[in-house]
Amino acid sequence: MIKMKNTYLIVLFSLLFVACEKIVDIEIPSDEPTLVVEGEITDNLGPWSVRLTLSQPYLNQKQVDGITNATIFITGTDGSNVQLLHTDTGMFVSATDQQCLVGETYTLTVDYDGKTFTASEELVNGFPIDTIASYFLPDNNGFIEAGYYVFIQGKENDYKGDSYLWKFYRNDTLQDDFGPIYENDDFGDISFLNQSLDPNDPLAGLAQGIIPRPFPFTVEPGDSIRIEQYSLSKQHYKFIIDREAQLNRAGTPFDSPPANPNYNISNGGLGYFSVAHLVKESLVVKE
Amino acid sequence: MRFQILLLSLLVSFSLFAQEYTISGRVKDADNGETLLGATVLVKGGGGAITNEYGFYSISLESGTYEVTYKYLGYEDVVKNVQLDRSQTINIELGIKANVIGPAIVSAKALERRVENKKISVVKMETAKIKEIPVIFGEVDILKTITLLPGIQSAGEGNSGFNVRGGSQDQNLILLDEATVYNASHLLGFFSVFNGDAVKDLEVYKGGIPAKYGGRLSSIVDIKMRDGNSKRFSGIGGIGTISSRLTLEGPIVKDKSSFMIAGRRSYADLFLPLASDESIQESKLYFYDLNLKANYDIGEKDRIYLSGYFGRDVLGLSELFSLNWGNSTATIRWNHLVNDKVFVNTSLVFSDFKYGFDIKFAENANFGLDQSIQDSYLKSDWTNFISQKSKLNFGGQVTYHRFNPGLFAANNEESKKLFSDIQIEKRKALETGLYIDHEYKHSNRLNMRYGLRISSFSNIGGTEYTYTKDVETNEPIDSLTVTQVFGSGEIYNTYMGLEPRASISYNLTTTMALKGSYNRTFQYVQQATNTASSFPTDQWFSVNKNVKPQRADQVAVGLFKNLDIGLETSVEVYYKWMNNQIDYRDNAEIAFNEELDGELLTGEGWAYGAEFYVAKTEGKSSGFVSYTWAKTMRQIDGISGDNPYVANFDRRHNLAIVFTQKFSKRLLVTGSFVFSSGQPLTTPSSKYYYDGEWNTNYTEIRNNYRVPAYHRADIGVTLKSKEKPDKRFKSNWNFSIYNLYNRANPYTIRFGEINEDDLEKNEGAIVGNTAAFQTTLFKMIPAITWNFEF
Repeated sequence: MIKMKNTYLIVLFSLLFVACEKIVDIEIPSDEPTLVVEGEITDNLGPWSVRLTLSQPYLNQKQVDGITNATIFITGTDGSNVQLLHTDTGMFVSATDQQCLVGETYTLTVDYDGKTFTASEELVNGFPIDTIASYFLPDNNGFIEAGYYVFIQGKENDYKGDSYLWKFYRNDTLQDDFGPIYENDDFGDISFLNQSLDPNDPLAGLAQGIIPRPFPFTVEPGDSIRIEQYSLSKQHYKFIIDREAQLNRAGTPFDSPPANPNYNISNGGLGYFSVAHLVKESLVVKE
Repeated sequence: MRFQILLLSLLVSFSLFAQEYTISGRVKDADNGETLLGATVLVKGGGGAITNEYGFYSISLESGTYEVTYKYLGYEDVVKNVQLDRSQTINIELGIKANVIGPAIVSAKALERRVENKKISVVKMETAKIKEIPVIFGEVDILKTITLLPGIQSAGEGNSGFNVRGGSQDQNLILLDEATVYNASHLLGFFSVFNGDAVKDLEVYKGGIPAKYGGRLSSIVDIKMRDGNSKRFSGIGGIGTISSRLTLEGPIVKDKSSFMIAGRRSYADLFLPLASDESIQESKLYFYDLNLKANYDIGEKDRIYLSGYFGRDVLGLSELFSLNWGNSTATIRWNHLVNDKVFVNTSLVFSDFKYGFDIKFAENANFGLDQSIQDSYLKSDWTNFISQKSKLNFGGQVTYHRFNPGLFAANNEESKKLFSDIQIEKRKALETGLYIDHEYKHSNRLNMRYGLRISSFSNIGGTEYTYTKDVETNEPIDSLTVTQVFGSGEIYNTYMGLEPRASISYNLTTTMALKGSYNRTFQYVQQATNTASSFPTDQWFSVNKNVKPQRADQVAVGLFKNLDIGLETSVEVYYKWMNNQIDYRDNAEIAFNEELDGELLTGEGWAYGAEFYVAKTEGKSSGFVSYTWAKTMRQIDGISGDNPYVANFDRRHNLAIVFTQKFSKRLLVTGSFVFSSGQPLTTPSSKYYYDGEWNTNYTEIRNNYRVPAYHRADIGVTLKSKEKPDKRFKSNWNFSIYNLYNRANPYTIRFGEINEDDLEKNEGAIVGNTAAFQTTLFKMIPAITWNFEF
């Protein structure tokens, strides 16, 4: 039996759990190129612009196909009728500065290749940012990294169903490491919104939500910060979320099923034309 | 009228003819005292019986002298001469056949009997057969072996389940000593939860499901654990490179009671830190399980069994995220002989399936999502062995279900202070089933079995939502959702189902039989899967006002022929209609959604196919070839442009070749080859540039494409120690190679942009371009195990 005991000791292991991901060369069916619209107009005075491109086969190409020969108009229930003219590859811009009005509906019409594509949205109301401030937060248990954070405060609408997107620029560079920053108020007030900030203790009275929201970025004293707050239609908000979910598909069982976000372009067009309420605030971070 | 007679015989079980007497008893293994189920009791001059799942048989005969033969596959026959002038109990012990090496001698009689006993759409594996199946990673895996049989498709590597005749994975009822096992996989399907050493017998019903089973649409996998050696203390085990296992068993009181305890633990995770890849080093990957069983003979007429199973899996992709799941079951059974013709088993069963994951956001910030389904049930199954021609089964079951759809809670003290738990409302329900089932042998040629099951399901208490959905997107419109709250004990919604079942067998000749079956099944508890690959953590939920029970009707016809060269062959065709099949709408919100039922769409499913099977079961070389052609379709409004589409698990061609070659008494080689069509996949039809990134535009047609086919060969070599007649200790070495030719089978294919990190593994790739990425889970895996028994 001694021999048997020895065999316990010489149990070999040879384990090759080699899980790897590799690019594979497969052929998949492909659709004909289709018009893609990317456009957003706001209540801020400025030129209106829309980008038109063509979709292309999924594999083996990285050039963006811009469109040059399309006729574009944006008409509004406020009586506006603005033509957008081709400037750069795929870019169509209005000749004069324009501005949307809350409660009015704006319709984009694109004539391209013998087809007409349209999209409409109503401008929803937003709310002003009352305060923008930065505070130093010490390390909290690993939840947050010690550093300076930027907070905003304002009075959000009382009723539910509002959707927001924020863009955070640090020294004129968009911070998008975590993807778009968006939130709706279905589950209650958003972060610090509707809260009055105590400059001495920004975290007072907040049992939850100590993670700096909506802006999870540390900044440095001296940084110049610009925040753009977009109030979006529900449909556009949903488009952003669904598009984001599809972009983040990683081949895991946690992915959402492959599906397209709901484009608002008629006639089989892809992309989205949005009308948004925009508020901008800026700040220089102080020591 | 006939039905009334049946009912009468339920209530009164006396001999209809005064001159008839009954022989009844148990058939056991002479070596270890295990009861043998499915053993044949043959009476010379016609007639016979088959032992039930507790090894019990009962035959009624007119008075006289009889020669009774007891047979069981792999065991020596025992012949008894019986002078029948009164009813008597005859308990029989059969001895295992000596390890015969040589040409197979299969008597014509045996072949005939096998054709006759084979039930349509049923796969049966006895102890002897289980021991012969291919050994990979040092142990037999019964569940993996059944997926090689026609009509049963493995869901593939990394998937935990199997699909039976176009049914989804949650449509299989897996029973271990009558307890529901909600997930039967370890290590993502690499091992099954059934320890081969602890299993006595397995039966799979792909169709022709008897009325005693209910609750799932597509199949029943009924697994029985061994009782434990009642003769002497013994053990069996193995030490391997991937897992080790040990089973100990023995009598508590000799020949009266016994116990068995069997455990396994994998330890692949112990070696992960040695890997060069950092993400693999931080991975967690292990399982362990424990089977327990004990039984006690109280007297001639009563026997009590206790059995339990406990298993756990942990799979962590890095230290930041891990999945865990596990089943626990407990069964108490009481066998009782009312008289020599009426056998009753009453069981109290508890089954608990826990599943969830842990997330570590930061140091001291750990969160877990815990989900579970718990079933407690009481069931009673009666058999009246009315006569040689007629057997009546009846009984019922009451199940209390409890669902925990999700508790999101902090796992550490610091986080607990800051975050309160979030609990999605728990659910309760009551499921019942009553059945009556008659087995009738009209003549030597014609056998039939028919029955009816009446099932019902009631939701108890809680919140119900009524949704108004957006016509375009099928998304529930939040502002229009109506909430209704019911008291905690209030039954507010009940569904009922009538489930007729029937099968018929006609022997065309002594070696050829034509068989047919029909069954209707209802399913009230199901799992929602969001992608083509299913995970143990996919949520289980019950029907309610929004989700209606699934229903299936299946017909199957089969031709069975045994050839005198020792081959068993069969061809079966089936067609199955299913309604209230579920799928998520596009862009569904699945994660942690209290109103998950609002995200579901329902529609029709249908499946059909042909199954071919040739097996050689005895001799030096044995094995089988199985081939299935199958098509599985779904049509759900709101998916795939309302058009029919192939189901996620549709695999058109399935081939399996399995062989076992005994070279000598000591050397055994087993091998297998499997091929199956690639899994359906929805591919992008174009890409578009938006917001500074490439985006995917998918075809409207769901599952428009197939990934490359899956194929793999495995081989195992077993070298046994020299047998010494005076020693009980035996051992063997098993060397096996999984995926012999190192095929990179696709687990998933995703589409995305190439980034810098991908360049290392993909020469010539261009950053910013889009490509298809394939993940392969298991390439060639060699393993060595040392097995022993005493």
